[in-house]
Amino acid sequence: MQLIHDPLPRRTQVILGIVGVVGFVAVLEMVIRSGLVSGAGLPLPSAVAEQVVDLLGDGEFWTQIGFTLRQWLLGLAIASVAGIILGGLMGAVPTIFAMFLLPVEILRPLPSIAVGPLLVLLLGAGMLPLSLTVALACMWPILFNSMYAARAVDPVAIQTARTLHVSRAGILMQIRLPAALPFMFTGIRVAASIGLIVAVSAELLFGSGQGIGGYILVASTNASNLDGVYAATLVAGVLGVLVTAVLASIDRLAFGWKEGLAQ
Amino acid sequence: MTDHATEQPAPAELVLEQISKTYGQNRAIGDISATIPAGKVSVIVGPSGAGKTTLLRIITGLEEATSGRVLFDGEVVNGVPEGLAMVFQDYSRSLFPWMRVEDNVAFPLRRRASKAERTRRVAEALQAVGLDGKGRLYPWQMSGGMQQRVAIARALACQPRLLVMDEPYASVDAQTRAELEDLLLSIQAQLDITVLVVTHDIDESVYLADRIIVLSKPPSTVTEVIDVGLARPRDQITTKEEAEFVHARAHVLRLLRGTATPDDASDVRVA
Ligand SMILES: Nc1ncnc2c1ncn2[C@@H]1O[C@H](COP(=O)(O)OP(=O)(O)OP(=O)(O)O)[C@@H](O)[C@H]1O
Ligand SMILES: [Mg+2]
Repeated sequence: MQLIHDPLPRRTQVILGIVGVVGFVAVLEMVIRSGLVSGAGLPLPSAVAEQVVDLLGDGEFWTQIGFTLRQWLLGLAIASVAGIILGGLMGAVPTIFAMFLLPVEILRPLPSIAVGPLLVLLLGAGMLPLSLTVALACMWPILFNSMYAARAVDPVAIQTARTLHVSRAGILMQIRLPAALPFMFTGIRVAASIGLIVAVSAELLFGSGQGIGGYILVASTNASNLDGVYAATLVAGVLGVLVTAVLASIDRLAFGWKEGLAQ
Repeated sequence: MTDHATEQPAPAELVLEQISKTYGQNRAIGDISATIPAGKVSVIVGPSGAGKTTLLRIITGLEEATSGRVLFDGEVVNGVPEGLAMVFQDYSRSLFPWMRVEDNVAFPLRRRASKAERTRRVAEALQAVGLDGKGRLYPWQMSGGMQQRVAIARALACQPRLLVMDEPYASVDAQTRAELEDLLLSIQAQLDITVLVVTHDIDESVYLADRIIVLSKPPSTVTEVIDVGLARPRDQITTKEEAEFVHARAHVLRLLRGTATPDDASDVRVA
């Protein structure tokens, strides 16, 4: 690839990033304080920051963060298992691909958030219907990445394994799977951030008052506590950034060999 | 030489009996019969599309012949024979990129040997190809020539009785190619294994071979089998100056062009 500019040094990138965030917050603070735009309920950064500090000191809020994280992880886990197995099989076995393609194409465009209330009806309140909603949204990127990953396995690698007396099952487990794993993981990375958004939205829309979404819902019924709503939303956003960063480092550690394919 | 070398089993003999292969309407291999003698280097040359790769796939049991059979030490091949190792042309695709070099080389041994035994054999194989100490690298951190050495080391770790290579050096530079040719010859002499190589390169075929099997255009048949009597060990410079080398090389070239006369073969022993 031809780069138009040389990439900036890492330190410069970090500094510029901080300057951007601080600058944005400062401008927002000034605009609201100066009365340039007015109206109750605008997020004044200093007030929101104060609320964030309050929230993080509050053990109850941590319980809600914990609920959201567990709810999201359960959904992501369900989607990963289902997506990798079904996607992997669809990629590797033409008959399974033919059988499942149509159902997948029909189910995929369904907004999982719309299915959620139905799940609550069927399963009752609690974590499970929320997690299943998350799973439904997370399933597709994982499924499609797994499908293409299973197909992309190099036939020369498979022939090599055959000349080394690896059985059919062995080729699946020792060649196809390791070769496909990094691409499946890319699917999980994409799904993870989608899933967090869906997790909080689901709590907000049809949860039973638990989780970060539940907290936002309760706080927003009290018009004097809008800063609390903003603060909780901000925490959810930061959570998303952390999740992305953690998964990116797992990717680098576990699947660094992928760089060997970039030729 | 270490005492481990005594473990090396006897080299295998390979016999091709009236092999043919047809893909749909396309007759790739017409009728090929030949003997690959035990403990020698045999080279298959032939025009592009003559079915050389196909023939190797049949020999290695990856594919079935339309008719005819392959005998590996007298036994009919049906599936990949025990004691056969294959080196593919596409080394970068044949090595597993998620494994370090040492794990790639150890892979064929994964069930067959104890941990200590594996470590020892991997070290031996890497040393044999001049890559000692490189086991912790990943294949993609190496040059093309080094990767092909890893592929050879992996084949050697199986302690094969027959080593089959499909245009093994087609994608490395001339200097590396010469080094790898000499490496192959020294390993073959040291370990006493049967080697079968497919190549496009006529110089390479004469330089490596005890026996050259020249194939015709498809549907291919054996045009001629040439036994090369050049002394061993061979040398990239002096061997290639010998009259027999020069004649054999011209003869193979004429055969491939279809302009050979019986007289051309006067200096080479025709089997
Ligand atoms: N899997 C396959 N299906 C159909 N036809 C095939 C298949 N494999 C090979 N062929 C055909 O068989 C013929 C011989 O192919 P092959 O690759 O064995 O030739 P080759 O001698 O190795 O050629 P090259 O020197 O270019 O490598 C070709 O016409 C090719 O199209
Ligand atoms: Mg070929």
